[in-house]
Amino acid sequence: MMEQLIANGIIYGCIIALAAIGLSLAYRILNFANFAHGEFLTLGAYFALFFAASLDLGFPAACFLAIAATAAFGVALDLLAWRPMRSSGASRTAIMILSIGLSIAIRNALIIFFRPDALRFPLPVSRGMSIYGMSITPLQIEVVLIASAAMLLVHALLSRTALGKSMRALADNPDLARISGINVDRVIRCTWAVSMGLAALAGIMYGLITHLNPNMGWSIILPMFAAAILGGIGNAYGAMAGGLIIGISQEISTAFLPAEYKIAVSFLIMIAVLLFRPRGLMGGG
Amino acid sequence: MLDYLVSIILTAGIYAIFALGLNLQWGYAGLLNFGHVAFMAIGAYVTVLLSMNGIPIFLAVLAGMILAGAAGASLGVATLRLREDYLAIVTIGFSEILRFVLLNWSSLTRGSFGLFGYPRPFQDLVGIRDYNLFLAGLVIAVLLMVYALLEALARSPWGRVLKSIRDDEAVAVSLGKNAFSYKVQAIALGSAIAALSGSLLAFYLQYINPNNFQPVETFYAWIMVILGGSGNNRGTILGALLLWGFFSTTRFMEGYLSFSPSASSAARMILIGLILIGLMMFRPQGLLGRKEELSIGR
Repeated sequence: MMEQLIANGIIYGCIIALAAIGLSLAYRILNFANFAHGEFLTLGAYFALFFAASLDLGFPAACFLAIAATAAFGVALDLLAWRPMRSSGASRTAIMILSIGLSIAIRNALIIFFRPDALRFPLPVSRGMSIYGMSITPLQIEVVLIASAAMLLVHALLSRTALGKSMRALADNPDLARISGINVDRVIRCTWAVSMGLAALAGIMYGLITHLNPNMGWSIILPMFAAAILGGIGNAYGAMAGGLIIGISQEISTAFLPAEYKIAVSFLIMIAVLLFRPRGLMGGG
Repeated sequence: MLDYLVSIILTAGIYAIFALGLNLQWGYAGLLNFGHVAFMAIGAYVTVLLSMNGIPIFLAVLAGMILAGAAGASLGVATLRLREDYLAIVTIGFSEILRFVLLNWSSLTRGSFGLFGYPRPFQDLVGIRDYNLFLAGLVIAVLLMVYALLEALARSPWGRVLKSIRDDEAVAVSLGKNAFSYKVQAIALGSAIAALSGSLLAFYLQYINPNNFQPVETFYAWIMVILGGSGNNRGTILGALLLWGFFSTTRFMEGYLSFSPSASSAARMILIGLILIGLMMFRPQGLLGRKEELSIGR
């Protein structure tokens, strides 16, 4: 029983982790808590559904296209909204309220275009296998493998590429980064693309293991923030660990508490971290 | 015609009280409460549950205000020593968790069936027919009292310290003011005011349900406060009237558009989202906002 809960927690935790990496990176580099991040997950999932249904592509190709489309949407949003806010010297508060407005608008636009009902990806039902007494579907194993691969890619991006270096420099000291010749606007646009691409992937995977509805991303915004804070804001590796810890704790809690309350577990973990270790488990700012 | 006026006063008045609580927290103290609706829900549920169990209504309302104030203060204590946006994350989380608990704790709240048939103040004296008229008078009286209290506080030494902390915390601290304690007091008082508006809402609706307290309600209050200019109590009341006007106009327009009910409420929500985005991009100081009171545009 407990093994099953831990396995479920790892699957759910991988999705939270991917979402939290994007949230955490954007928080650190753009310096605000993005309350629209949940809707970027939802958007990614619906893009995949739309491409899979309307273009004659395989499902994996539709997913790649959806990730690219969400990342492109992120760059467009930067040009239309975030950059004008930055250059007009708007406060962090104003930018956060704008992100709330964006979240409300996107969620309800999806309700109009796709109706509020739950939808599923056009895939055959994945049958559970019994592994050491746990019931796991091949789809769930794929989700964990793809999430791990995406996390390795993020690691490579941050540690091995010039872009990753610029992103870390910008996070540590924006003024120093600017005078040392980093093109700040370009790095920020790339950050949005990475953050929203990861969000789209997380949203597609969340849709695969549950279902799609316009509220899906908003419903897990709290675990995402809890994971980002637990890992230390801005720390991508912390967000990965935070996501797994949050995911596993939420699932284990269902052994003791009604399952409806599992989201409250991430809230309690978040409060405890803020009270006792506000920099998170892995430092950060 | 009178019924129409009464419904304006009830809806706009109750939301004005709700938003005045937020104006104290945001406009005076610069605190980012993104879960204000949670305190309204606490007020409504505590009042209804206690008065259904024979506690006098006045005491039930007071209990709701005290509980909401205490909840607000504890969230403040957990986050106010950190960067200001942690309060935003924690309060928005709290409002969602509370709605979840209200939906799922069926033995107490009857979940999504909601609560009804509870006592309302002076119901026997006034009678059903004129009750809304009486309640509108009560809402106006409460609104004026809250307004007078907040205006007096704004001019008091307490209010001046609060604004000085909002504008430059380091200066206030260097003058020996305990900024943390002032902020916790502001969030507790603002939450108690939200609870009061929640009790009035419960009296007006005669039926409460966890879905009356969706996260978006919080942002209605934000729109009211920002439209009227942060820190401006009269502006907040004007903002409440404007938002009420927006809702009644869009409902009126719906008669001419053939949308399904879910699509038309979603379309209204898209407009609300766009209003928030537009305000932040083009007019963060609102309509009546004074630049020197402005803590949002910096």
